[in-house]
Amino acid sequence: MAEYKLLLKHSDKPEFRTFSGYVANGGYEGLKKAVEMERQGVIDEVKASGLRGRGGAGFPSWIKWNGLPKEKKAPHYVLCNADEGEPGTFKDKMLMETCPFQLIEGMTIAGYAVQAEKGFIYIRGEFIDAAKSLRRAIDEAYANGYLGKNVLGKGFDFDLYLHLGAGSYECGEESALMSSLMGERGMPRLKFPHAPLPTVSGVWEKPTLINNVETYSCAPHIVARGGEWYASLGASTKNSRGTKIFSVSGHVNNPGNFEIEFGTPLKELLAMAGGVKGGALKACIPGGSSMPIITAEEVDRAIIGYEEMQEVKSMVGSGGCMFFNEHTDIVMLAWRTALFYANESCGKCTPCREGTKWMLQILERIIEGKGKPGDIDLLKDVAGQIEGRSFCALGDAAAWPVQGMIRQFRHEFEYYIEHGKSMVTSERAMALRP
Amino acid sequence: MSELLQIGSPNERPRPPKADELNLKFSDQAVKELEGLKTHYPTLKACILPALWIAQREYGGFLSGEAIAEVAHRLKRSYAEVEGVATFYTMYNSVHKPGKHKIEVCTCLSCHFNGAFRIRDYVTAKLGIRHGETTEDGMFMLEEVECLNACDRAPLLQVGDKYHGPVDEAYIDNLLEDLRNREESTVVQMADQIVQCHLETSERVGKVLD
Ligand SMILES: Cc1cc2nc3c(=O)[nH]c(=O)nc-3n(C[C@H](O)[C@H](O)[C@H](O)COP(=O)(O)O)c2cc1C
Ligand code: SF4
Ligand code: FES
Repeated sequence: MAEYKLLLKHSDKPEFRTFSGYVANGGYEGLKKAVEMERQGVIDEVKASGLRGRGGAGFPSWIKWNGLPKEKKAPHYVLCNADEGEPGTFKDKMLMETCPFQLIEGMTIAGYAVQAEKGFIYIRGEFIDAAKSLRRAIDEAYANGYLGKNVLGKGFDFDLYLHLGAGSYECGEESALMSSLMGERGMPRLKFPHAPLPTVSGVWEKPTLINNVETYSCAPHIVARGGEWYASLGASTKNSRGTKIFSVSGHVNNPGNFEIEFGTPLKELLAMAGGVKGGALKACIPGGSSMPIITAEEVDRAIIGYEEMQEVKSMVGSGGCMFFNEHTDIVMLAWRTALFYANESCGKCTPCREGTKWMLQILERIIEGKGKPGDIDLLKDVAGQIEGRSFCALGDAAAWPVQGMIRQFRHEFEYYIEHGKSMVTSERAMALRP
Repeated sequence: MSELLQIGSPNERPRPPKADELNLKFSDQAVKELEGLKTHYPTLKACILPALWIAQREYGGFLSGEAIAEVAHRLKRSYAEVEGVATFYTMYNSVHKPGKHKIEVCTCLSCHFNGAFRIRDYVTAKLGIRHGETTEDGMFMLEEVECLNACDRAPLLQVGDKYHGPVDEAYIDNLLEDLRNREESTVVQMADQIVQCHLETSERVGKVLD
């Protein structure tokens, strides 16, 4: 299987970032078709497409779209999660920089389908290039009657705003994103069943649809070509439809974004990225730093799909796929991963706020050669006390990678503790140490 | 080895000005921009983040106690609330004055395993500053940051509105020399770019996106 470019088909054309270039390349066909349909008809197409959220969790998108009240009693909001922060992922950045109108069209279709009159794109503050590209595109869409009052003369209003974050991974968590958009610290809010779903009471306690950049970017294609057509992509998998963009980095010759059809073997993704550089393949984190690591042998047989990846006890996640060669010290990798989560924990709940720091401290003493017998069990114990006990999924996301690395590479941890040094001693490996 | 990537200690926070010491500094442009922003959201509170970006620009890159007090005053929120928000996010410079340029070296996973710690050490050796510190001439501040989400360009660093990667020692030599002589990619200019991205054509005051 090769790349299958649906969302990224025109990403290399500079003119695709302009209104005229977008329209000349088939843009806005989806929205034009959507506004001629019943709102429910649009949602039904999304249902038929089998689209699942591309932000990490893989939740069926149509259920969210269908969840907003059909009888509108208050403003409805459409939010785009463009806070891409999962280590290893850089697809939303590319989609916003190179195909801004595709996202705008997708959100406008969503706005029509769920009767929202306002949309916000929450972009992480570092992504200036993406924000500028979207800014220009939004301004052009307004000037051409594709945003604002009476979109396409169809009597429906849709305003789209850009809102930039200010540095916080946690703001990618959807309820924390809403807190941040409302002007608060980026901390998550109570979730269903303890609080209503965002589709009922989300941002400013109004019905809210929130999806990832890539998820919305699929909508124009689903509406223009039909949900059934979209669902024909990835048909070899159990329940993963369409295409998925993978950001491939780490030790590969040709890092970058690759859009593939679900059902593609993981080793082919590696081949697209030019294969491993600097030594033999050792491990892979297939879906962003929160996802469990897999071994080279598992890379060989893994098939990309939400259910299929579970066969190797990992997940598709956000599609941030990092390959590591033989000079990679897995204990060091665990330490750096733990440092990330300790830095980014928002501090709201104790298991995550304290537990991420404990994991870091234990890993720190191991890589300093001062590990103690029993440290592996202690690490597993701490991780186990975070998992399932934290207020939001960041806690789980901190526990899984460490648990995964111990499960797959326990001997490296044991060696480190016993000998006070890493078993990966090549010159290359030593040069990477902090 | 791995201090958490925090800057300063809590008692370094600037003291808030008393009510009669309030000295409003927002320019006419800033006031107009804030008026535009207020139409975007159903609440004034939601303007806190973008208003802090305006303040970071207006106050020379640093959210001093005065800057936070001005945002609180203009949005009718308490000082404590705005300070709480400002100190949560890593891109607001609320602990001490940053240099003219902020050099943010990513040392997260893909960058780490493509040599990011050597890059960090090189910048440290060259400028004599560590994470969170600023050079004596006030030109550069160094920060180690988490994934900047352009891992295909590892090892990567960010200066103001620009990403640079993959970088090596020679690239850094050139970059630092270049930055000394430039008014672009500064902390202040970055804040301005972020403000402009929030605003629609009609709300932008005399500025266009470059
Ligand atoms: C700690 C944390 C960080 C997250 N970061 C992001 C992110 O950067 N981008 C994103 O789209 N979703 C992120 N998510 C997932 C969102 O909470 C949410 O599931 C997603 O925005 C839903 O959109 P989707 O259904 O289109 O995937 C994150 C979740 C957690 C727990
Ligand atoms: S798990 Fe708790 S401390 Fe960690 S980010 Fe979520 S709410 Fe914050
Ligand atoms: S790890 Fe440095 S940009 Fe992602």
